[in-house]
Amino acid sequence: MDLNNYLELFIEESKEHVQAINDELLKLEIEPENIDIVNEIFRSAHTLKGMAASMGFDDLASLTHEMENVLDMIRQSELRITEEIMNVVFTCVDLIAKMVDNIEQGGDGTEDVTEIVRKLQSIQNPSIIHDEERVSAQNEAATTKELVIDEFQRSIIQEARKLGNHVYEVYVKLDERCVMKSVRAYMVFQAAEDLGEIIQTDPPVEQIEEDQFGDSFTLLLLSHHDRLKIEAQLTNISEVKAVIVTEKTEQELGNTDKQNHLNPNVTDKPRKGKENQKASETKKKPVTKSIRVDIEKLDRLMNLFSELIIDRGRLEQIARKSQIPDLIETVEHMTRISTDLQGLVLNMRMVPVEQVFNRFPRMVRDLAKDLNKKVQLVVEGAETELDRTVIDEIGDPLVHLLRNALDHGLESTDERIANNKPEEGRILLKAYHSGNHVFIEVVDDGKGINREKVLKKAIERGVISEEESYSLSDQQVYSLIFSSGFSTADKISDISGRGVGLDVVKTKIESLGGTITIDSTPEQGSAFRIQLPLSLSIIYSMLVKVAEEIYAIPFNSIVEITTNSDNEVYTLHGQKVIQFRGQVVPLIELKEVFQVPQVESPKVNQPLYIVIVRKGDQTIGLVTDTVLGQQEIVLKPLGRYLNQLQGISGATILGNGEVALIIDTNQFFNEKG
Amino acid sequence: MASVLIVDDAAFMRMMLKDILVKNGYEVVGEAVNGADAVEKYRELQPDIVTMDITMPEMDGITAVKNIRAMDPAANIIMCSAMGQQPMVLEAIQAGAKDFVVKPFQADRVMESIKRVLGS
Repeated sequence: MDLNNYLELFIEESKEHVQAINDELLKLEIEPENIDIVNEIFRSAHTLKGMAASMGFDDLASLTHEMENVLDMIRQSELRITEEIMNVVFTCVDLIAKMVDNIEQGGDGTEDVTEIVRKLQSIQNPSIIHDEERVSAQNEAATTKELVIDEFQRSIIQEARKLGNHVYEVYVKLDERCVMKSVRAYMVFQAAEDLGEIIQTDPPVEQIEEDQFGDSFTLLLLSHHDRLKIEAQLTNISEVKAVIVTEKTEQELGNTDKQNHLNPNVTDKPRKGKENQKASETKKKPVTKSIRVDIEKLDRLMNLFSELIIDRGRLEQIARKSQIPDLIETVEHMTRISTDLQGLVLNMRMVPVEQVFNRFPRMVRDLAKDLNKKVQLVVEGAETELDRTVIDEIGDPLVHLLRNALDHGLESTDERIANNKPEEGRILLKAYHSGNHVFIEVVDDGKGINREKVLKKAIERGVISEEESYSLSDQQVYSLIFSSGFSTADKISDISGRGVGLDVVKTKIESLGGTITIDSTPEQGSAFRIQLPLSLSIIYSMLVKVAEEIYAIPFNSIVEITTNSDNEVYTLHGQKVIQFRGQVVPLIELKEVFQVPQVESPKVNQPLYIVIVRKGDQTIGLVTDTVLGQQEIVLKPLGRYLNQLQGISGATILGNGEVALIIDTNQFFNEKG
Repeated sequence: MASVLIVDDAAFMRMMLKDILVKNGYEVVGEAVNGADAVEKYRELQPDIVTMDITMPEMDGITAVKNIRAMDPAANIIMCSAMGQQPMVLEAIQAGAKDFVVKPFQADRVMESIKRVLGS
């Protein structure tokens, strides 16, 4: 647009305003308290500013802008008129007149106004420079903060969800040329309030109102409208450059503390089973502070803590013996604290299985390509946490199982089509907590395990005899594929099928204190279920006595404890058994297995205690002399020299300083196949 | 084409705005020089849209917005503000103004705003 058309009008009106300001200023000198006069001057200055800016006379505009600000402060009674201010304002007007004259004579109206502008600014705010610094610092802080949801807001969200509302995170970006960002933001808020309820903004509303934000801000909006409608409504506001609306799921909102756990090492909140979920929902503010700690330090902490548990056991024993009330009380308190501490220490070591799961989608994809099969890998429960030591070890077995599922489990695409199955095979990798255990399942929807084929192979390879094969349950047959030197694939492929896979998996899982079971339905698929302990080093166990030796049996494998006086012992095929709850349970004499030196027992007919232990759906009874009670023990490995001991997984030090061996009940089942 | 009422105490500003609007095919049905004049002219002309200055003698733009909205709750008013008038613009928006443009006028911003207000 050609500004010359307006020039004449501009000059004319400007002169009028300069004149008006001069007149009013003189009046003001006489009546400094008369706000009406200030108003008049303010308006003239304001109009001048608008015109100057429109015409592109920047010096004139900036000068009138600062002048207007000072006048505004006087008008709002934030500033008292002093002689100094009057002088500065007069100088201003003289300068404005000079500029207008210059423009009239064909000049560009430029004038050095920095000095007078600085003076005007220092009138407005003596510490203006510091102030600007502060604002920019606040801006920076504002942009790095996240939306943080407190307890109250969380409850609102939950309430709203029940009423069918959605929770949206609305990101709004304003045009960078936008002048009054705070007012724009207000308009966005207004529009958003029409659509739902704003429960949170980032930066906080106060900062947005004071224009202390960059080009963008984020809101948390509860609304029953759909995403597109919200985007459309908000985008319709002038100078809004972009609106991105994303729906927040319960999980994203509930797991704001998840970030802590992604960082594998330290969280400052204790988490435990289901309680922690509740805790995370009701906690005041998610603390995102975390530090990285060398895992070795955590290992040492764990070790030292284990020592402490042993001493605690000793102290408990001493206290009981001494019967000193003060000591007993102190020890009890210490026990409570150390239990909490233990939870904390164990928790620090917990990491999400995500770490391991992450690499599988790629692997499955590549493998599927190689095998020319179509596969969809579904990962569930990647946030499930496990002890770091377990995480480190679980990767390889899972790789084996996934490969197995892809190679042996899933049929070829042609076969699937022929069997009326979806062309794309599905493998589910799922982790979840249950009690004191973590379960990891690898489920495929392939052809399932062929019982006959497995049996045939097993007999061929001499894993079992033909006679044995008739009496085996499906479960027992399936578990045969874990025997070493067993492979059901007709052809040996590169991928699995070397027959060394699954028995290695089993050994590994068991070395981690876990178990693996198989479920399979012909033509429907198979499921491999791995059960792992939450932690490896501190375990609950039942202490039993065999002759004069004490053994510990981990709690998680014990079903029941009974006596031989309640159950008559039979002998079947040379094997001692008892009839227990309608099942025939084979007995194992620990005395014989561990060759415990016999002591002369004064009472011959003392009842024997039988600890029924389970693995999968098999049970056996371990025959012991006495049951001493349950105790938390610290599992100590026996070291290199003794790692092949049959039926022993480690040792522990008891309260009285004695060493007790920890029985690995799983190994007794191995013997029976 | 949509009819517009321009409200500004400076003839210079009115002229500029008028130019922009006319060039884009709008019909400027009237001009008012202050708030009171604006209310009067709005009643008389019933324009589709009003551009409203904020600082004016007699009656300021915000009061004019309130009065016009009281008369016609569906009135489409766009505030024309100079820099540094944030609180007043905010007040005007709260009073029911649909949008605002900041002086110095940029033709594209003015048109964008008018189109949006008329469109919604």
